Amino acid sequence: MNLIRDLGAGVIESVERLGRASVFFYEVIAGAGPLFRRFFLITQQIYAIGVLTLLIIMVSGLFVGMVLGLQGYNTLVRFGAEDSLGLLVALSLVRELGPVVTALLFAGRAGSALTAEIGLMKATEQLAGMEMMAVNPLTRVIAPRLIGGIVAMPLLAALFSAVGVLGGHVVGVGLLGVDAGSFWSQMQGGVDFYDDIVNGVIKSFAFGVTVTWIAVFEGYDAVPTSEGVASATNRTVVYSSLAVLALDFVLTALTLGEV
Amino acid sequence: MKRPAAGSREATKNSNSDRADGAVVSLQEVVFSRSGRAILSGLTLHAEHGRITAIMGGSGSGKTTILNLIGGRIRPDSGKVIVDGQSVPDLDTDALFALRKRMALLFQTGALFTDLTVFENVAFPIREHTRLPEEILRTVVLMKLETVGLRGARDLMPSELSGGMARRVALARAIAFEPMIIMYDEPFTGLDPISKGVIAKLIKELNQTLGITSIVVSHDVAETCLISDYAYIVGAGRIIGEGDPKTLQRSKSEHVRQFMEGLPDGPVPYQHPAGDYMQDLMAPRAK
Repeated sequence: MNLIRDLGAGVIESVERLGRASVFFYEVIAGAGPLFRRFFLITQQIYAIGVLTLLIIMVSGLFVGMVLGLQGYNTLVRFGAEDSLGLLVALSLVRELGPVVTALLFAGRAGSALTAEIGLMKATEQLAGMEMMAVNPLTRVIAPRLIGGIVAMPLLAALFSAVGVLGGHVVGVGLLGVDAGSFWSQMQGGVDFYDDIVNGVIKSFAFGVTVTWIAVFEGYDAVPTSEGVASATNRTVVYSSLAVLALDFVLTALTLGEV
Repeated sequence: MKRPAAGSREATKNSNSDRADGAVVSLQEVVFSRSGRAILSGLTLHAEHGRITAIMGGSGSGKTTILNLIGGRIRPDSGKVIVDGQSVPDLDTDALFALRKRMALLFQTGALFTDLTVFENVAFPIREHTRLPEEILRTVVLMKLETVGLRGARDLMPSELSGGMARRVALARAIAFEPMIIMYDEPFTGLDPISKGVIAKLIKELNQTLGITSIVVSHDVAETCLISDYAYIVGAGRIIGEGDPKTLQRSKSEHVRQFMEGLPDGPVPYQHPAGDYMQDLMAPRAK
């Protein structure tokens, strides 16, 4: 009986939190209008969330591209199709690995930082102080971070894919002797702008909304203690990663239209 | 009129009705509970215009809850919270924010924005609510910082300030718009005697020079009695004593005496409610 009771309580709590998170998202977006007159608040966040995440994204992209080049070459060479290495690397990155790996790294680096920052602002009464100064923290603190994350994520994913392609080129063409002309021409001929690139951008946009929403909500909803902020940060990384992987399946199924 | 002895029920009733007329802030029969636990049960108090009203009481007695009710951060279960003639719980968001522009709350921690300098912290509310030219804004901020004696610290970050300095910066920020009411939440906690003296002097001076209504919530009896015009003592969610500080210090009420003299045992028991001690010790572990 206790198990059923606990399960029921867990489900009710989860639904209740999801409801609160949805209302929170609506309130942030609905109150974001005045921000566009103070655009510097958003650009500050694009810098903090996007530019400061560039290094980890680019280094990861480079290595993922290099591994793809190595693995792809070893498979393709068995069929004498190593000239298609550029296409394989590009499609893997643009359609799947770029948006997904970027989102996972984004959740680990920028998402956790957002939650910790907002949670600590709550714990040190900075958000309460703002409210008492008649400043709405949803508009002044949360909305710029949410918009900054949503803008930054697709740009980071695009850079991840671009650097990954270069990594694949370094390994495939530079080390393994694939013809450079074939590498680029196969890629140019096989990658479709709408089916591949636009779908990748849509995915990374959806991941950006999801990860940043989870991060800012967890921070805002954190119990205002050291332990509460630590738990919230932990939840951001776990929930974001799971949400990205699940959403990736849904979006892939929708774009391929095969499920 | 003969004033009844402070701390008695009669005293509370009569002085409340006297003080309600000139009150800027008025709480009437306020009941507030959280997670089924009663925090305030029928509390009534008034803060008069231009005076320093102290609210004293032990930790967890609901003092900060009173400030949160006045600031509209929480709503009472029942009772009235009136500020400047407006019923705070009934205000919509816009009206509440308009009222908050005329009141300030100084948090115990200062609540300074850790990513902004001292200057930018004080400038924050002005930037948010006005479009003052940068030169005028600079002058206003420097004047506020000069009032609290920290003009020279304008380029420091909050992490570089001592506890007392942080509270003075928060005070400069609080008076940025010269509010009608300033509420101080434990302004003396964790400060050295010099800093306590400085904060007490600032509260008194600001009250006199700006003619504002001040509400000081504190459990620091000595400092609070020194600056306040009228004091309430909160215990068990209600007012257990009130009067001017000198009268309170002479009170015969056991509740008031226990708090004013810092007695470890009395009407507020030393022991948290628990079952029989021996029975507890002898009980099997699993139980």
